[in-house]
Amino acid sequence: MTQLENELQALKVELISMWNLVESQLKKSRNALVNFDRDLAREVVLKERRVNAFELKLDRDCEDIFALYCPVAIDLRFLLAVLKINTNLERIGDYAEGISKYIIETESNFNQSVLHASNMVTMFDDAIKILADTRLAFENENTTLARSIFKRDEALDIINTNAMRNVSECIREDISVLSDSLYVLSIIRKLERVGDQSKNIAEEIIFYIEAKVLKHDEQVQSKK
Amino acid sequence: MQAQSNVKFRIGKSTGFQALTVGLAFACVVPLIFILIYIIQAGITKINWHFITNLPKPVGEAGGGVANALLGSMIIIGCASVIAIPFGILCGIYLSENKTSKLAYWSRLCVDILQGVPSIVIGIVAYFWLVKPLGGFSALSGSAALAIMMLPIIIRSTEETLLMLPDSLREAAYALGMPFHRVILKVIIPCGISGILSGVMLSVARIAGETAPLLFTAFGNPYLSGNVLKPMQSLPLLIFNYATSPYNDWHDLAWGASCILLIFVLLLNIFTKLITRKWKVQL
Amino acid sequence: MESTIVKSIDYNAYFGDNHVVKNVNIEITRNTVTAVMGPSGCGKTTFLRGINRMHELIPGATAKGKIMLNGEDVMEMHPIFVRLKIGMVFQRPNPFPNLSIYDNVIAGYKLNGIKLPKAEKDKIVELSLSRVALWNEVKDSLTKKGSFLSGGQQQRLCIARAVAMEPEVLLFDEPTSALDPISTSTVEELFHELKKNYTLIIVTHNMQQAARVSDKTAFFYVGELVEFDDTKQMFTNPTDIRTQNYITGRFS
Repeated sequence: MTQLENELQALKVELISMWNLVESQLKKSRNALVNFDRDLAREVVLKERRVNAFELKLDRDCEDIFALYCPVAIDLRFLLAVLKINTNLERIGDYAEGISKYIIETESNFNQSVLHASNMVTMFDDAIKILADTRLAFENENTTLARSIFKRDEALDIINTNAMRNVSECIREDISVLSDSLYVLSIIRKLERVGDQSKNIAEEIIFYIEAKVLKHDEQVQSKK
Repeated sequence: MQAQSNVKFRIGKSTGFQALTVGLAFACVVPLIFILIYIIQAGITKINWHFITNLPKPVGEAGGGVANALLGSMIIIGCASVIAIPFGILCGIYLSENKTSKLAYWSRLCVDILQGVPSIVIGIVAYFWLVKPLGGFSALSGSAALAIMMLPIIIRSTEETLLMLPDSLREAAYALGMPFHRVILKVIIPCGISGILSGVMLSVARIAGETAPLLFTAFGNPYLSGNVLKPMQSLPLLIFNYATSPYNDWHDLAWGASCILLIFVLLLNIFTKLITRKWKVQL
Repeated sequence: MESTIVKSIDYNAYFGDNHVVKNVNIEITRNTVTAVMGPSGCGKTTFLRGINRMHELIPGATAKGKIMLNGEDVMEMHPIFVRLKIGMVFQRPNPFPNLSIYDNVIAGYKLNGIKLPKAEKDKIVELSLSRVALWNEVKDSLTKKGSFLSGGQQQRLCIARAVAMEPEVLLFDEPTSALDPISTSTVEELFHELKKNYTLIIVTHNMQQAARVSDKTAFFYVGELVEFDDTKQMFTNPTDIRTQNYITGRFS
């Protein structure tokens, strides 16, 4: 194995451990939400620093590899993909932190009927699953799995649209759930963003493996 | 049309020129072939075991050989080689290792001049420097004269061979911590050995037929002699003496001796070619 | 365990009146690869050849200053001892054409007249050839002449020849400039292996090579050591504007 291959392999391992961290952040914020566990939420907020440190480290490593090895072809695409995936993951980490902050801020647990109406827990689980599958697609260089992400992101979008309607109905029935509802809608918006970021990551994976640019190409994505 | 005929003319000129070079190259070979055929025709019949092992007979007696000249030639050439080869090779090494020094410049100049000195002049010098002070003709003084003639050939061929060796070879040896004498003995000479040897062979072939310096030094001797401090016969001297004599028997002896000398030189040349090819170190 | 193995103190080298290396101070760490780069005629090769006293073999070449090897000044030592401790590999592969592959590897012993028992020689040859990843390729043709090998193999043979002497430092003078790309990357891979046992200093024209193979990089310009730093630092954020101009190709 050449030195460049070693470096790229190490970079991949590094990115995957960042990925695992972000996933666990997301899972923890989900559990904190479901069990209204403020301590767990605080832990997520604290650990966000580690995600940020990962991002900086990966950026630095990519810079070094670009400078020292002048990668070309698949190596170059891999590095470009890693750079962008890195940014996307960090953003997902931010969402997990944001959700946890909401949990810390609210005085009592969220109104269960609103939670139920918004279908949020299902959405949360889906988002986590999507992120995990995107990671698997990256680890195993599986473009079929990566392509399946596009469809599943749309499912999240639908939940998002429906939640809007359902939650507003809840509010109409009982105005006291208003502030809870606003929190829930914000969280849903963030989860929807997690889906979008995963989709971007899936695009990067396909770009690096197949050298195809799917970004902003709705037709191709909906066909798959 | 004009252009085309012009081209035709040029093609014709080119062909003509090629034909001329081929013709002239062939013309160079023709005399050599004629000389070879003629001498071998005249001499080969005279050569037999008796011819090689016997002394010349007085005029009028049948038979007789050139044993004394053959042995003398061997001894004189051998002594000359013993004197010239170490000097020549060492001098060649010096010149190739010190390309820019003042001494190298002057010695290179001297070697070139020495190469151009007529052999008869070298003979005279040897006569005045060696024969006269030593009080008589001797084979050794002949060897010394021939050695002087060998030197420039050996020096120049050694120098040129070693100069062709890349510097990187010397650097490789020095970088392994080898001292100068080992670099020369273990790397430079082994790598250039084929060139050095061919230089030596050519120089031997060159002096084998020299007559002029021997006239004043080895002088000639009708009897078999192994004493290098006494006059000694040699093939070129014998040919010179017998060919200019009025007797037909002696003419025959001269032809036979010429033939032997010619075969010797030819063999030496072929041998040189073989050695160069066999021992050539692939760089 | 980081420790300095080679250290130059105010090293200056001259060709006659021509001052080609000016006041170079550099510290080289044990078991690292140091790349020396710079434009042609910047004195980098001269400096390298100064380290094992090869510089002074050229008529008219002189040097001043100190080069410490493990705290001992090589300028005070006899060049032959210096060269036994500091091996060198040249631009063009230069195996001894009159020797077999086997003899080429132990040339440092054989040609220096050092007698070794056969078993030990075999061991040295196998170890050295293994270290340069050549053993498997040539183990069945050890008696063939070194010049039968390809250029890249010849260069690895030359590295094996230097390695066989168990030097502390290995100097490489543009070791791949005469090789094809495949051989070049084989030799470059080798550097990573070799640095486990030796300290490597490599002069190269090729910036990319310096970036790929080295831990530290020195940049020479008109005889001066402009910058010496970690290779990563050098290629992402050089301190000196001249280094920046050189590595970005904006050199006039």
